[in-house]
Amino acid sequence: MYNQVLYDFYIARKHHAYRRPFPAELTASVRDKSLNPTERMMTRLRLVLANEQPTILDDQRIVFLRTVTDVPDIFTEEEWAEIKSKHFVHELGYVSNLCGDYGKVLASGLEPIREKLEARLAGEATEAQRLFAESALSGIAALYDLADRYRAEAERIGRADVAAVLARVPRQGATTFREALQFLRMLNYTVWAEGNYHNTLGRFDQYMMPFLQAELDAATITVEEAESLLEEFFLSVNWDSDMYPGVQLGDNGQSIMLGGVTRDGEDAYNELTRMCLQASCRLLLIDPKINLRVGKDTSMERYIEGTHLTKAGLGFPQYSNDDIVIPALVKLGYKIEDARNYSVAACWEFILAGCGMEIPNIAALSFPKAVEEAVEETLLTATDFNTVMAAVKQHITKGVDEICSSIHDIFMIPAPFYSILMDGCVEEAKDISTGARYNNFGIHGTGVATAADSLAAIKMHVFDEKTVSGAELLEALHNDFAGKEELLYKLRNETPKMGDNDDRADQMAVAILNQMAEAAEGRRNERGGVFRVGTGSAMFYIDHAKMLTASADGRRKDESFGTNFSPSLYVRSKGPFSVIQSFTKCPTDRAINGGPLTMEFHSTVFDTEEGVEGVATLVKAYIDKGGHQLQLNSINRDRLLDAQAHPENYGSLIVRIWGWSAYFVELEKKFQDHLIARQEFMTC
Amino acid sequence: MEATIFDIKEFGLHDGPGLRLTVFFKGCPLHCVWCHNPEGIAFGQELVRNEDACRHCGLCQRPCNHADCAQFGACVHICPDRLVKVEGELYTPERIAERVLSYREFFGERGGVTFSGGEPLMHADFIEQAIPLLDGIRFGVETCAHVPAQVFDRIMPRFHDRFVDLKHMDADIHRRLTGQDNALILRNISALKASGLPFTVRIPLIPGLTDTAENLAATADFLADAKERVQVELLPYNPMTGAKYRMIGRAYNPPFDEKQKPNADALPFLAKGIPSRVY
Repeated sequence: MYNQVLYDFYIARKHHAYRRPFPAELTASVRDKSLNPTERMMTRLRLVLANEQPTILDDQRIVFLRTVTDVPDIFTEEEWAEIKSKHFVHELGYVSNLCGDYGKVLASGLEPIREKLEARLAGEATEAQRLFAESALSGIAALYDLADRYRAEAERIGRADVAAVLARVPRQGATTFREALQFLRMLNYTVWAEGNYHNTLGRFDQYMMPFLQAELDAATITVEEAESLLEEFFLSVNWDSDMYPGVQLGDNGQSIMLGGVTRDGEDAYNELTRMCLQASCRLLLIDPKINLRVGKDTSMERYIEGTHLTKAGLGFPQYSNDDIVIPALVKLGYKIEDARNYSVAACWEFILAGCGMEIPNIAALSFPKAVEEAVEETLLTATDFNTVMAAVKQHITKGVDEICSSIHDIFMIPAPFYSILMDGCVEEAKDISTGARYNNFGIHGTGVATAADSLAAIKMHVFDEKTVSGAELLEALHNDFAGKEELLYKLRNETPKMGDNDDRADQMAVAILNQMAEAAEGRRNERGGVFRVGTGSAMFYIDHAKMLTASADGRRKDESFGTNFSPSLYVRSKGPFSVIQSFTKCPTDRAINGGPLTMEFHSTVFDTEEGVEGVATLVKAYIDKGGHQLQLNSINRDRLLDAQAHPENYGSLIVRIWGWSAYFVELEKKFQDHLIARQEFMTC
Repeated sequence: MEATIFDIKEFGLHDGPGLRLTVFFKGCPLHCVWCHNPEGIAFGQELVRNEDACRHCGLCQRPCNHADCAQFGACVHICPDRLVKVEGELYTPERIAERVLSYREFFGERGGVTFSGGEPLMHADFIEQAIPLLDGIRFGVETCAHVPAQVFDRIMPRFHDRFVDLKHMDADIHRRLTGQDNALILRNISALKASGLPFTVRIPLIPGLTDTAENLAATADFLADAKERVQVELLPYNPMTGAKYRMIGRAYNPPFDEKQKPNADALPFLAKGIPSRVY
């Protein structure tokens, strides 16, 4: 740790003392009936930033701390209910899961953007363009004002270094690594303050490296100084993250994507990539969430570097496979240069910085539900397995159809400030919420393994070996296997499972994933984008499971699915080789909305360098075999159980949930229990 | 030909270089008081029952129609918590080889399969049948060396990686700790030294029993003349061993203090020029 004092200050959450609520008397002006949504957004951002109290902590170099909490909604409850009755509203209605084109703005500063917007107002503009330009200008002015007050505060307390940085950014482009980091902090801060959420940080090592490289070349910074600044930036994205909306604390989307290839297809790994991995290792914080792009040419050394971060226990990095993702995105209609520039949304969904207004988590299809519906319809009468399978496919197609046709008349809350970070929005004077170059929607596919295992069980026991009749199985499912212990044992323990490299189960997964991909193929959403299907589960590994009866794989009612693209929760598979073999049979290139295979390794595996190398070799094997995405945890069940019993001793214990990392003791118990139930791989 | 195998572990890291598949054969001529694979001692299949976690629902005591349950006196296909099960499964050399080959892409040039146990060389014929089927994949052995000399001498040269346990240099103590004296083991290791083949000697460090300065020094003396080809791995006692006995419903009464930290001293070996490390 380079700045232990500041770090300790954060760990003790001492900065919370500076927080105070949004002035209640100002709420009415945010919801002024005469204002349209864009104006309300701008009013609120202006008021939030105006009420911020510049706060510079001892030794702090990357400043900007959120002090205003409890920001009011821009709509009254009645207004919001009315909007929702007339429109499809995704989650909270705000722009989310986007990434700005930070590199461009960091280099240019906001002045050229301001000038373009002023020029628009001075020239010809539609009413909508005028509204956008005025609002965006108001946001820029609010940020200028806050930055100026920070600068004054810095001068007042004798922090000439901070004042000097703020004399340049945000108006002018950054000329140093520190200015670039400070500028990025301001932009990210303001995007959050505007009300947008799951604000991702994109290809940080790519857009930030030019600033660092220039300084390294000019010898105006040492590697150690750069590492120290980087650490402080990483720390800075944690200051306020508990105030951001998410399913649970930690689900805030502050992910970064490292490595991969450039827009021209060249190796993009750089010195900053390494520095980011190492900084995350040292800081042990939940943000930023590290993703690492790899491919068939990635060397063992880099996998070992990544595994050292896995060893730290944060659930980072999450790997994605360029060799699968890029061609798959191209197939969906992305330009090759854009596809090579892919980044990641809050969890695992592949998105494009600057040019995407995608909603990658707009809906989720439950594979086990499709199986349940098919089983209910066919199991009593079917004379062969194909009848059951055909019904499953029908229900998958029906489910995709229903999802696609249910999404229309989307209402999205405008985001004028965020828009200035997006390609073309300033030039065309349009809000990002209205769309961008890419407007694709993503649909998760949940419970792949539960569904595949269920189908394998039905085929084997009802149709091939005929040891149980369809009627008997159906009754057992309805009764949650009461009095059917022998059948339950057979289904759970003596039936093919995904994760055991058994084609009887794995090919079922191939079939249902293909079916979902085919069902979505050729469909267009109202914004002209496509529907992308994926293998993510998010919280549906619990929520979708709760909606079902018992399933034919032996999953009892209320037992959860495995997380994302993983074996069933109760399955104890043969081992990591077999898991990788099972899951790489799947057409992951057709499930490119993302959703990682997740594997848990006992923390002792990482105790030796052989262990680290071994895990790295497994990661490489998964990638080389064509897996699309992989996320690993170093975990220790005994420690988690002890943390449940004695949470006071485990305040800093971090775990990965479905696509984000969090402090274990702050999680709801159902998420804690899901982690504890997963299979931990050990070595022998 | 068949052999009883009680586990096939993917992702072994300590039984040879690279990624390993470790095959655990059932049955061992030694009965070490600290054995951490107690399910590997008896030959043939056996019933194990985790009494600790048992909820006494009685399901396993209900009459059943499974052909294989009769011999165990319990139904082994019903326990809702999988606490009652049969340890050991019969494999043919072909079936083992098939499984090994399916993992080829994980092994690379360094990884492979290691035969362990129990005592794998009690199944030397089986292994010799499997070897030609391994099609270029590296294979190793982890043996206690208490096997007939002609078997040991015949098969050891065939492995790529050789791990040989050596528990104690004193014959009486060895008998007390393992049920057998060490004459055959020392004879076999001497033969291995003379063969010119490289190998690894593994010494379990059991507090107050095998980790004594005398024993480590005597072992170092014994191995010194092969220092060019031998390396030593010191394996501190695994304090989780007792949990494993409980999981299979066995009593475990180690005649030593489990909590005592073993004397993990590689110096006697290093002093003799024998490469060694502590795990």
